[in-house]
Amino acid sequence: MKPLTFAARSLRREFRHAELATLALALVLAVAALTGVATLASRVEHALLASAAELIGGDLSIGASRTLPQKLVDEATQRELKTSRLADFPSVVFAGEASRLADVRASDDAFPLRGVLAVRDAAGAEREVHAPPPGSVYVEPAVLSALALKIGAKIQVGGRDLVVAGEITRSPDSGNLLRLAPRVMMSLADAEAIGLLGAGSRARHRLLVAGDEAAVADYARAIKPQLPDGAEIVTIAEAQQNLSSAFERGGNFLRLAALLAALLSGIAIALAAQRFARRKREEVALLRCLGASRAEILGALLLELGLLALPACLLGVVVGLGLQQLVFAFAGDLLPGARPAIPWQPSLAAFAVGVAVLFGFALPPLLRLRDVEPMRVFRRDDARRAGRFDALYLLPVVVAAGLIAVGAGDTQLALTLSLGFAGVAAASFVLGLLLLRLVSGGGKLLPGALRFGLANLARRRALTLLQAGALALSLTAFAVLAVVGPSLLASWRAELPADTPNYFLINLQDEQRTPMQDRIAALGATNINMLPLAVGKLVAINGKTPKAEDYNDRRAASWINGETRMSWSQDLPPSNKLLQGRWFAANATDDTGAQVSVDKMWIDMFHLKLGDSLTLRVGEREIVATIASIRGVRWDSFRANFFLMLDARTGSELAHSTIASFHLPRDVSLASLSRDFANVSLIDLNQILDRVREIIGRVSRAVISVLGFSLAAGLLVLLAALAATADERRFESALLRTLGAHSAQLSAAVLGEFAALGLVAGSIAAIGSAAIGYALATRVFRFESYTPPFASLLAVVFAAAALVAIAGWLATRRIARTPPIAVLREG
Amino acid sequence: MTKNDEIVIRADKVSKSVDGPDGRLTILDDVGFTLARGDSLAIVGASGSGKTTLLGLLAGLDRPSSGEIMLAGERLDTLDEEARARLRRRRVGFVFQNFHLLPALNAEENVMLPLELEGSTDARTRAGEALARVGLAARKHHYPAQLSGGEQQRVALARAFVHAPEILFADEPTGNLDRRTGTAIGDLLFALNREHGTTLVLVTHDTVLAERCARRLALDGGRIVDAAAA
Ligand SMILES: Nc1ncnc2c1ncn2[C@@H]1O[C@H](COP(=O)(O)OP(=O)(O)O)[C@@H](O)[C@H]1O
Ligand SMILES: [Mg+2]
Repeated sequence: MKPLTFAARSLRREFRHAELATLALALVLAVAALTGVATLASRVEHALLASAAELIGGDLSIGASRTLPQKLVDEATQRELKTSRLADFPSVVFAGEASRLADVRASDDAFPLRGVLAVRDAAGAEREVHAPPPGSVYVEPAVLSALALKIGAKIQVGGRDLVVAGEITRSPDSGNLLRLAPRVMMSLADAEAIGLLGAGSRARHRLLVAGDEAAVADYARAIKPQLPDGAEIVTIAEAQQNLSSAFERGGNFLRLAALLAALLSGIAIALAAQRFARRKREEVALLRCLGASRAEILGALLLELGLLALPACLLGVVVGLGLQQLVFAFAGDLLPGARPAIPWQPSLAAFAVGVAVLFGFALPPLLRLRDVEPMRVFRRDDARRAGRFDALYLLPVVVAAGLIAVGAGDTQLALTLSLGFAGVAAASFVLGLLLLRLVSGGGKLLPGALRFGLANLARRRALTLLQAGALALSLTAFAVLAVVGPSLLASWRAELPADTPNYFLINLQDEQRTPMQDRIAALGATNINMLPLAVGKLVAINGKTPKAEDYNDRRAASWINGETRMSWSQDLPPSNKLLQGRWFAANATDDTGAQVSVDKMWIDMFHLKLGDSLTLRVGEREIVATIASIRGVRWDSFRANFFLMLDARTGSELAHSTIASFHLPRDVSLASLSRDFANVSLIDLNQILDRVREIIGRVSRAVISVLGFSLAAGLLVLLAALAATADERRFESALLRTLGAHSAQLSAAVLGEFAALGLVAGSIAAIGSAAIGYALATRVFRFESYTPPFASLLAVVFAAAALVAIAGWLATRRIARTPPIAVLREG
Repeated sequence: MTKNDEIVIRADKVSKSVDGPDGRLTILDDVGFTLARGDSLAIVGASGSGKTTLLGLLAGLDRPSSGEIMLAGERLDTLDEEARARLRRRRVGFVFQNFHLLPALNAEENVMLPLELEGSTDARTRAGEALARVGLAARKHHYPAQLSGGEQQRVALARAFVHAPEILFADEPTGNLDRRTGTAIGDLLFALNREHGTTLVLVTHDTVLAERCARRLALDGGRIVDAAAA
């Protein structure tokens, strides 16, 4: 026999059967969801990286305290990468008597390589520019107002008069919290000529590199060994903590939705494959009888599935790509810069996962067809070796676990989902057993038809348990998608409410706190938050000087070599969550030494634990603080947040300024503020806030479309489960009707049975999905607060029971319309 | 009436018992007979007397609990499942009470099945001829669901004879058909049997059909109660 020919022939006809169509549809949905999500995530990530690149002005930045060697530039030029040199240093600039500390950036003409530098000239016209030509500067509005200057006037930098040729309206790295003063841009040639970059200057030199993604990565690897001492590479992925943090959560949402779609599809496939195998038993027996070998039969069956899977997976890829294209087209034009190309890897991976899901979930019942005895051609023999454990049935579990592990991309997400679903499966097993016991115990009291139906339930123990489990699992996934998912999304959006701080004020002195507070409140500011800020240096960890090369995390270098900001407060600041240890006691006494609370990222980066000590130098003082607690900081909350929080007693003795965050409508002018508080710098977060909001909005929309997909998969599973149950009942109800049962009696029995099944599965699903939702909110998304939507979940229970009952009733009603003899004769 | 003394089927002290819910149940007890090439044997007996079980054992679809069966020169107990399948593939044909056509294949493809299992290259032509022989040349693209019971059994007969098997097993081939159709199928079965010189084992409780066989074997409660030549 040619298995391929045989498989193709069979498929041509059998595709009309519900179970193969279900199987194919489930596969299309799974592959589409996986393709769509993975492609979308990858493209959005690229677009984000590109926008992060615009924020730092290049794809890669090498920083050092001295001029970077020419060979680094040559190396980049060889690879056809663009470069730009620049130097940042603080300098006091003058205009007549007035002076102002400025953050000066001197750069060559190529700057910026990515993103936009735009200035407004005297006439008020805005244009995009590169670094200013020698002899002139561009300045931020705060400089103009502090020095009471107009565009076109002269400003003194390093003792040299330069012309203010424009007011900076947009520039790369706006929103950088590490900047302490408003920016003045000048040409690198001028800065060198004036001698601002000579030995002893505090300039931070940078080389920006931009170009093809692969070439940039290549370059980064190649130059690493050639870097001068103290030089560090910053890639865009590391550059914007709040952007990537926002995206991480969005990615988790997307992956969650896609995973659930794939798992639901798996369940649908398992149920459909089971029906398929049941139908095929007779055929296998006949083929055995006619002399086909086991290998030929199995080959034909697998080929038939394969023939179905190939186009289904391909169609899934196409649908998935179409879906993500739609989302991208809809949301993508918000992204600046080039559209990232469609990567092919996610499609390939989704295709492979689709095949794995198909065979993982469909193989067990099909492989069991090997055991069909040829004698079966003579008698319909349903006697199954009951209770026989078959290791094959672990295959779907393994595939599901593998899917979760690979697809989640986040340990917490994987753990939450695996434990959640395992719990639901276990609960449905236990409750199912209980229900069966109840049925067999109290069955005698029931009227005939119902007793017969329930006795059948009890007789097909294994199948009943399987179907109850599948029903509970799919209802859980369904509830997570339909009810818990949207509530999680709402929580996410609520994390950046309308009054999210969009401005920071830094360098505020203690005596300015109250006047400033009054002033901005008068302007209409809300959500005002003030925290002390001390700038220090990490000197030692547990008494030992840290060395950057001891840590895998490359970010460690910037804290070891650079400055560290810290703060203190009586209470745990909002958007911080205590993970371990306790917050500082309010009534600390002298003998409580200095204590510090450290963010989780630092803990991981420096391999710290509770009780370790950090030596910090602030000004002339050196403090040794014990780690008293570990915090999880929500970096995308747009409040002033710190890796290190000291206890208030220790902190208040350090030299410090104050940092304030507040929300103010965008159209309110803050020009007067910088004039009256000349030492204070204003940082405008609107641009970056917009980006994060964009991400949330875009990802929410994407998630909702993927949720739609997953819901379709869920519905399919429910229908498959019910169809399988109804199939089982065909014979019994035909027989009962032959024996004279009223169709009303039958309907009542079926309705009651299915409603009970739906109620049990629905209750498990409601509890399970609430638990999963809570675990997701606290462990995966780390929301500040989340309450599972209990009312909606309760509605799910009853809706499920009703749905299951009605669908079951409809399915059996169809049977009731066929004459019983037709059904019985089929046997 | 034996044209050839070569023994094609030999059953020797064959017994079959199964473990049932009420203990061990003996279905066949000490059954023995031989059948020569070209012979035809009717197995008769009441329902539940063990006819189908015996047929299955003779065809190597199941193993006896004790005793020995020889089929087409091979001792079945020395062959494993797969080897017995190969033996059936080449030398045995089947006709069933409920036809057992594959619903997903059309008439022609159903008839092609035994040829394709053998690896034959002209399966379609030969299947076409076989269908023409049973009078269904015009229905070869019809699916079983589109054929009447008699037509389905004719397709089954075409399938049974298409690869010219040495031995044909038929289990109540007319059991699901009305009398007239049953008679027609019986005529066709014996005609084909004569044309091919096939050895026939026929299970039936239709006495008219049984009498058309050269030999008869009556079973009761799993034992042979009567063995006679017609
Ligand atoms: N696998 C089996 N398990 C239990 N009982 C069986 C099995 N196979 C056959 N029987 C029983 O053996 C007896 C003979 O069956 P069968 O050979 O089908 O009879 P017949 O074909 O003559 O009607 C019947 O009582 C039947 O119930
Ligand atoms: Mg029988």
